[in-house]
Amino acid sequence: MKIKYFLLTSIILSVIFLAACGDDSTSDGDSNESSEEEINLYTSRHYDIDDELYKEFTDETGIKVNVIKGDEDELIERMKREGEQTADLFYTSDAGRLFRAKDAGLLQSIDNDTINENIPENLRDKDNKWFGLTKRARVIVYHKDRVDPSEVKTYEDLTESKWEDKVLIRSSENIYNQSLLASFIELKGREEAKAWAEGVVNNMARDPQGGDRDQAKGVVAGEGDLAVMNTYYLGGMLNSADEEEVKVAEQLGVIFPNQETTGTHVNVSGIAVTKHAKNKENAVKLIEFLSSKDVQKQFASANYEYPVNPNVEPAETLKQWGDFKEQDINLSILGENNAEAVKIFNEVNWK
Amino acid sequence: MNWIRNIKSNMNSWAILSIVFIILILLPNLSIIFQFFSEPNENWAHIREYMLNTYIKNSLILVVAVGVLSAIVGSSLAWIISAYQFPLRNFFQWGLILPLAIPPYIGAYTYHGIINYTGVIQTTLRNQFGVTVDQQYFDIMNMPGTIFIFVIFLFPYVFTITKAFLARQSTSLIENARLLGSNPWKIYFKIVLPLARTSIVAGVSLVILEVLNDYGVVKYYGIQTFTTAIFQTWFGLGDLASAIKLSGTLMLIILGLLIAERVLRGRKRFSFTTTKVKLLKPVQLKGVSKWVAFSYATTVFAVAFIIPFIQLIYWATLTYEQFFSEDLLSVIGNTIMVALIAATLITIMAIVISNFSRLHRGLTAKLFPKVTILGYSIPGAVIAVGIVTLFIGIDKFMYQNTLVSSYVLSTSIFMLVFAYVVRYLAVAYNSIESGFERIGTSFTEASRILGQNITKSFFKVDLKLIRGAIFGGFILAFIDILKELPLTLILRPFNFETLATNAFQYASNEMIHEAAVPSILIIIISAIAIYFFHHVLERE
Repeated sequence: MKIKYFLLTSIILSVIFLAACGDDSTSDGDSNESSEEEINLYTSRHYDIDDELYKEFTDETGIKVNVIKGDEDELIERMKREGEQTADLFYTSDAGRLFRAKDAGLLQSIDNDTINENIPENLRDKDNKWFGLTKRARVIVYHKDRVDPSEVKTYEDLTESKWEDKVLIRSSENIYNQSLLASFIELKGREEAKAWAEGVVNNMARDPQGGDRDQAKGVVAGEGDLAVMNTYYLGGMLNSADEEEVKVAEQLGVIFPNQETTGTHVNVSGIAVTKHAKNKENAVKLIEFLSSKDVQKQFASANYEYPVNPNVEPAETLKQWGDFKEQDINLSILGENNAEAVKIFNEVNWK
Repeated sequence: MNWIRNIKSNMNSWAILSIVFIILILLPNLSIIFQFFSEPNENWAHIREYMLNTYIKNSLILVVAVGVLSAIVGSSLAWIISAYQFPLRNFFQWGLILPLAIPPYIGAYTYHGIINYTGVIQTTLRNQFGVTVDQQYFDIMNMPGTIFIFVIFLFPYVFTITKAFLARQSTSLIENARLLGSNPWKIYFKIVLPLARTSIVAGVSLVILEVLNDYGVVKYYGIQTFTTAIFQTWFGLGDLASAIKLSGTLMLIILGLLIAERVLRGRKRFSFTTTKVKLLKPVQLKGVSKWVAFSYATTVFAVAFIIPFIQLIYWATLTYEQFFSEDLLSVIGNTIMVALIAATLITIMAIVISNFSRLHRGLTAKLFPKVTILGYSIPGAVIAVGIVTLFIGIDKFMYQNTLVSSYVLSTSIFMLVFAYVVRYLAVAYNSIESGFERIGTSFTEASRILGQNITKSFFKVDLKLIRGAIFGGFILAFIDILKELPLTLILRPFNFETLATNAFQYASNEMIHEAAVPSILIIIISAIAIYFFHHVLERE
């Protein structure tokens, strides 16, 4: 009998709960249209600093930021299906995905002086449909004792025979690698990009495994001499709570590749107002806020990303690596070439 | 007019409810099944040439190795613990379910964290003894490592279901064998394995489905599986249609395997026929064999739970300060609440469908169980697409007909709970079905001959006999939902965090230290649930 009561109570509880939820969201929905005190945001960024900044924004403006965090492609799919009833903002850490959302007709252009002033033109969509907020560079790191940095100047050098079995780089499933190759397709054409990927596969010290931090550890552990990784992971390691990670990061030097040629590959985290945004004005306010000088400073120091606002200096950790020249391509290209990049990776058997 | 009588005799509240439930489960899966028959697009040739061949091979290796090993580990432990008395046996009864509380991808990060260059083993060797080891001996991120991770964190599925069977169902045969002087090995191979086959297969099929669905472990360890192909097609090539087509293929393969297993098993059923359920009495082990049994269970428990748990605790001590806030309490509250609600719904639905299916002859009744497995057979992210489509469709319909002023279902927790039900019905169902299977139908038939209807028979007779299986199913579903990821990430309402999404947020950003606190909380809540479950069973 006990189970019977247990089941009954649970059913009643669930019904009450579901009813309560239903009510909640209805009233949320109502206030969506009548008051202007809310914005709905879909984001694929998973950083604590983001939550803090939303809170700060709410304190400053009284506008509540409602958030769903998920994987970028799944969020895009959800927006497609939601049609007119969707989030106001889409925020993600890859220009390629922003292009995909734009391509699917999910975004609208925003012409706002403050934003245009805060964010340089090359870090915005050419139709102003999305805006870069932070920048990250994909660099080569080397072991300070084993490698003379003058021997490695470009991404192309990674394919030279002297680095056979010495190069560490993660799987081609990873978006940062896909964007990197997508940029090469734009700069050098498909054939050369494929030759580059093939050359890297030949020089790999091991089958790709783990994340960017694991490539850095691999170099220090002696599995290889060079690794490709994003700057903010190295920044994170240098400031880690685990002293062993700090020790690893301190043994590594940073090379910004292709300074004399095409420039170092950068990607952005960017934000966009959706086509069917119900709270467009508030959404624009959030972009103004996030690109403002004070907030850009916080971004940079908390997550070791480069600020996009030219009036803000990068964090100390990043500054010690110096300035660098960036690839001069429109970042939308990364999205346009993404599928082609994946195909090349598969063709050259880059796992 | 025979068929009218047939319908009449078959139509009762159980049948109607079952049909409703099955339709609910089928709806979100329909779009996936339809997509399977769509024309392949221009990416298909590329997918077939460069992805499928190697990826399918890897999936096969994983499935076979993990399936066989977890069957061996799970059933042997279930056998030792059901049949023998040795130190800490009572603790292991529930302690060996605990590894299920650790999400495999967290386990994968943790073991890599222990073994890698900055891990505790290598750091100690280097800093205390000045030894730097060859990395190739300290690498877990390969095929054997992946198999290891899956086996240690998933074998409890086999263990739990098999143990429940052995404790109650096998008594007379095992005692007879003992009286006739068979040694433990002989009993294990000649009696336990054949007798408990249904339970072992039920457990192993859950293990295999989890393996096929996983994208966290294999992605981090760099093993390319069929799931990799699905997500590379969707995320990399930006081709959701082909990704769904691949998922549909996976779904059909799994259904085929399950039906084949059912056909091979044929009509063999092992249900007891006496009115008295006799519990298997454990025999006290002595001397060497006592310590062999003890060390076997202890080793498995240490590897699958204690070691990763201690590592997580250590990481938590580095980062715990940032977690003490009111937010954390509401996150814990959310997590427990949705898991309780969904697990309860799942349990009720599983009881209804399995009771209907076992009491009715005919194809429909036999096909229903297969439908429950659909949601469990393909990656959660793909199911999510089907569910979003369904709910937004309903919302749109209600909105356009001005039944509601905005989208209600797809913006509430309702969509997420429904998704959990679609996904994890199979988990509770497998446990409850094997419970029903072992009591057979003779008791219910006796009760009905004595004038009780199906519902009364169920509450007065069946329910008491399969109590353990029902609780088991509930707990398994509850724990699975606690650690669930892709569905929770994508289908949750605004500002809704669970412990799993919290842990993922950090782990996906390679901040495993920060992921430790929410992971430990998932483990503690699961452990309490498991202990409670065990305690309830013991008392009875």
